This record gives sequence, C-alpha cells and structure tokens, in this order.
Amino acid sequence: MDNFVRPLLVVLLQVRIYLQDRADLALSLLLPIAIFALMYGAFGETQFHGTAHVVNDDPRGNHSALLIDRLEEVDGLDVQLHSASDADSKLDRADLLMVLYIPEGFSGNLTSGEQARLVFRQRGNGGDEGQIVAGIVRGVAEEMAQEFQVRSQVSEALAGSGMDQTHIDVTVQGFLERERENPTVTVGEDIVGGSPDLVNKFLPSIVTMFVLFAITLTARTLVEERKKGTLERLLTTRLSVGQLFVGKFLVNLSRGFIQALILLGLSYAVFQMFTPLSFIESLVLAVIFIAAVSSMGLIIGSVARTEDQATWIAIFFTMAMVMLGGTFFEIPESGVLNVLSKMSINTYANDAFETIIAEGGTLADVGLQMVVMAGVAVVGLVLGRILFKVMPGGR
Amino acid sequence: MSEPFLVAQDLHKSFNEHKAVDGISFTIYKGEMFGLLGPNGAGKTTTIRILSTVLEPDRGDVTIGGYSVRHKSDAVRRLIGVCPQELALYEELSALDNLVFFGRMVGLDGRDARAQAEAHLELMGLAERAKGRVDKFSGGMKRRVNLAVSLMGHPELLFLDEPTAGIDPQSRNNIYETIAGLRGEGMTILYTTHYMEEADRLCDRVAIMDGGQIIAMDTPRELRGQIGPPDQVTLEDVFLRLTGRSLRDMKT
Repeated sequence: MDNFVRPLLVVLLQVRIYLQDRADLALSLLLPIAIFALMYGAFGETQFHGTAHVVNDDPRGNHSALLIDRLEEVDGLDVQLHSASDADSKLDRADLLMVLYIPEGFSGNLTSGEQARLVFRQRGNGGDEGQIVAGIVRGVAEEMAQEFQVRSQVSEALAGSGMDQTHIDVTVQGFLERERENPTVTVGEDIVGGSPDLVNKFLPSIVTMFVLFAITLTARTLVEERKKGTLERLLTTRLSVGQLFVGKFLVNLSRGFIQALILLGLSYAVFQMFTPLSFIESLVLAVIFIAAVSSMGLIIGSVARTEDQATWIAIFFTMAMVMLGGTFFEIPESGVLNVLSKMSINTYANDAFETIIAEGGTLADVGLQMVVMAGVAVVGLVLGRILFKVMPGGR
Repeated sequence: MSEPFLVAQDLHKSFNEHKAVDGISFTIYKGEMFGLLGPNGAGKTTTIRILSTVLEPDRGDVTIGGYSVRHKSDAVRRLIGVCPQELALYEELSALDNLVFFGRMVGLDGRDARAQAEAHLELMGLAERAKGRVDKFSGGMKRRVNLAVSLMGHPELLFLDEPTAGIDPQSRNNIYETIAGLRGEGMTILYTTHYMEEADRLCDRVAIMDGGQIIAMDTPRELRGQIGPPDQVTLEDVFLRLTGRSLRDMKT
C-alpha cells in the first residue's frame, strides 16, 4: 500500500509547492494560452486572403476591364493596380513577388479573334501567395476565354439568320451569367476526417514542441530537490528511489497534461478542429508523449548536479529533437537526416498528432508511434534510475 | 554497558583520490550519546552519510540494530532519523507541512504524523508559528524545524550533524535542551559539533576524527585526563593538541 501512497504524497507535495509559487503557476498556465493566442493570430484566418498586383497596359480595353472586375469579384482576393514602372521597381526591390501584366492590345486581340496573352512576372516562384493568386487568375482567364468562344460561335452560327445581333448578344450574356451564378458542374468538399482549417498543419508541431518543455521542468524538479538538501533527507526515509522517481514522473505528467489540455481544448473550442473522439485521442497521445518526455527529464535530472546543468542539457536535447523531428523543416524521405530523425521522439509524436489532427486518423493508425513513445517512457525511467545510482553520490 | 546498537567496521570511502574516510571502526551502544568531533574535512559528514545509508562505503560495513547498511538499508532506514548539517526543508511550505510530509515518509499515517508534528513543534517552541512559511523564519527557527523533522517517527538512532551551527544563543539553547531531553529519554544519538563544551557536557563518549581516521575515542573525562588533570583542561585543549592548530579550510 505504501508503495502507492508515498509517490502520491510526493505528487501532492510538489503540487502544494507549485501552488505556493503564484508566478510559476500563472506562467505555466498562461503559456499554453499565449501560444494559442499566437496561433490564432497567425492561422486564425481560415479563408485565403491575398492581393493580385496588376499592371494594365490595356486601360481602354473592355476585356481587360472585365478581367479586373472578375478578379475583384473573387472572395478573399483584392486587386491592386500599378503602373509598369512602379511594379518593375517593386519587383526589383522584392517588395512584390508576382505581378500580372495585361499587355497593350489584349482586348483588341480578343475581339479580332487573335490569341490574347497575359504575363506573370515574378521573383523566383512568386511565393506561396503569388502562386495561389496566379492559379485564381488562370481560372478567371480560362472562364473568360470560354465565354468569349461561346459568344463567337453562337454569333457565327446565327449569322445570316436575320436575328438581331444585339438580341443575340444579350441572350448569350444572360445565359452565361446564369451559368456563372448557378454552374452546371459544382465542386464540393466532403471532409471525412480531421479539419480543413489551416491551423491543423501547424498544431501538431506546436503541441509537440510545447510538451518538450517538460524535459527541462522534470530535470529541474530533481535537481532542485538536491539543491535544497531534501533529496538526501528523503533518501534516509522509507521512500525508495523508485517511489521518488514515480512521484516526480507523475507530477510532471500531470502538469504537462494540464498544459496540453488547455492548448488542445482551446483549439477545439475556437477552431472546431476536433471531433469528440479525435480530441480524446489527441489527449491520449499527449499523455504518452509527456510520459516519454518526463522520463527523459528524469535521466537528465539524475546526471545533472546543478540547475544550470539540467537546464542546458535539457535545452540541447529539446532543440536537437525539435530540429530532427521536422518541426521547423521537412525531413527528406531518405538520407542521413531521415535516419537521424528516427532517433528523435518528436518525429513519432509529430507523425502521430498529424495523423489524428490533420488527416482524421485514429489511434489504430499510430500504433507504432505510440509503442515507440511508451517504450521511451519505460526505458527512460529505468535508465534514469540506473544513472541515479551510478553517478557520484548516488544510491 | 548496554548492548551495541551501531557497529562500524573498517569503513573506507574515497572521492577520486581523496580518502574521506580511511578505515574507521567504532561502536555506539543503545541509549548512548556519542560525539564525533573533528576539524573541517575530517570526514564526519561523510561518515554520517554512510551510516544513514545515503552513501555506500567502498569497504567495510555498518550494522544498525543488527541490520547491515549495505544489505538491509531499508530496515536501517526504519530505525534512524537524520538532522543534516545543511537545512533540508521545503521552505515554500509551512513548518507543520514539512513535518507532516516527512512524517508520512518515515511511515506514519496522516493522523500520527500531524500529532507528532504538533508535539515536536511545541517542543521546539514553534507551536505558534507552525503554519508559517519556513522561508519567512529566522536562521535559528529554521534550524529548530530541521531538528524537529529528524524526530518524526521517534527514531531509535538519531544522527545530528552540527545542529547548532551558526544560530542565535536562544535557538542554540533550545536545541541543546531538546537534545539533552532526548538523551534523558534514552534515545541513541550520534552527534557532531564544533562546540566542544556541548560535546563535553552531553556526550557519553566522543571520537575525534582527522584525515578520515579516528585518532582518539573515549569518555570526555578520560580524554581530558590524557593531557592533564581532567578538571583543569577542556575538551577543546585535547582537540587542539590532537588535531593541531593549523587552519582547516580544505575542500570537504
């Protein structure tokens, strides 16, 4: 019975200490909220919003004007007109990455049946926003070209029929407008899992990086105990080192879980990006990952002799795992970096969270990742215990 | 003489090349108050850390209440209480919370832990500040809490490592009286101190350590008698004669 009670008493003690330090308490609870606020600011806009930078060298042409009108009608797209010299200099200075040029004679060529050509000038690939804007412009231009062909063919077919050309034009125009407003072919999105929200691309990495802070916190709890002298005193009581480890492990697991719960809960409430099941599955993943990270913190706490040592060793491991885990950049499918990434617990955590959050998968799809993380948790606890014994002054 | 309660045999402990404890042997009898004296770096604290199961000796063994610290350390820990030289308290918590927590750690249930904690704080003159945060206490009050914690569970053998170091006379007197009271109750105590007159008055026997070895061990009176008439020399005279007058600022 005492085997269970003593670790819980260590947990309760740590919680009481934690509650005594109001600043620590506030910071640790505010941190996930602050991260969420940043996330909301960065990714909260669910719809694309961009600007098409246009140089219109065909200012009197009715088709160029129509093209600009059509672009302005696109949801989330603003059109900003520039003079050619202004656009060129901004492109040179990289103030703009992509500009649409409507050349002189664009409308005249269309009217006369010749090929009319739009030109994009861009720096490099034009940037993510530029590429999206270019795709929208292409779609609008193709739609206009098709409408123009319909008008031409109808006029050609009815030539000589005696029908009034104006009547033909009005009738065709009415047909085309109805088609645009209520198209024959529509494209819908049927989400079968996960969330279509842009935030789901980044939430997994943010959650895993945030949870990794637990390495430092866990390592420090053990070293702080040593610094206070209470560690040695505890070692003269009936509390075993194993019970102490379990207590410290549970404390940090609980703290990490509360923080992850706040972060994921706010994401659920604000972005509506979870189903109840996927939310629970994400929390389960978070618990396993925090367990792995906490046990790694215990390894560091067993080795470090000062709080500074603990902090810097933990920061080194955190940064290495974040880098190798693909948080900041894509890990290639093969090669040395890919092999190294397999040694980062973050890789497995990121994969698992992406599968659940972004791809609508279930825990059954992330069995391997869960086994690896749980394995790290168990091995970390055992290794931490061994290191605690073999380090100078250990028992 | 009563039965041996602590028997240390040929204890050795080194840290890198430094021999902190170099082959010491001694016995403490049940109910005895045994003083371990020595200059800084003599090996007193390392010896206490070995006896209290925190450190494993490189060689030799100790039995406490018949249990080996090497092989039956769990059983040994049920018998001992340790008041370390440095404060070892959760200063963010109250004195009462500290005592109750460590009481639970030595195996008391919640009710007994609280009852003993209140009694020990009363004994230490801290009943009125029981619920005050330790980090708001004076150095002397912290020392008293430190000692009170070591009494939780009524250990059969108490290690007191310089419990009166660097505190005000009133607190020192309180601790002194408490230790005298414990001795009167028959508790077995191993006591280290730099205050020779305390050791002289309180201890049944003392051992003087230097360089990791015990260089003298006897009753205070017998030790005083080794250098002159026992009533005319002090234990400090004996100590200085045996350990020399050179300063000991070595790394401990």
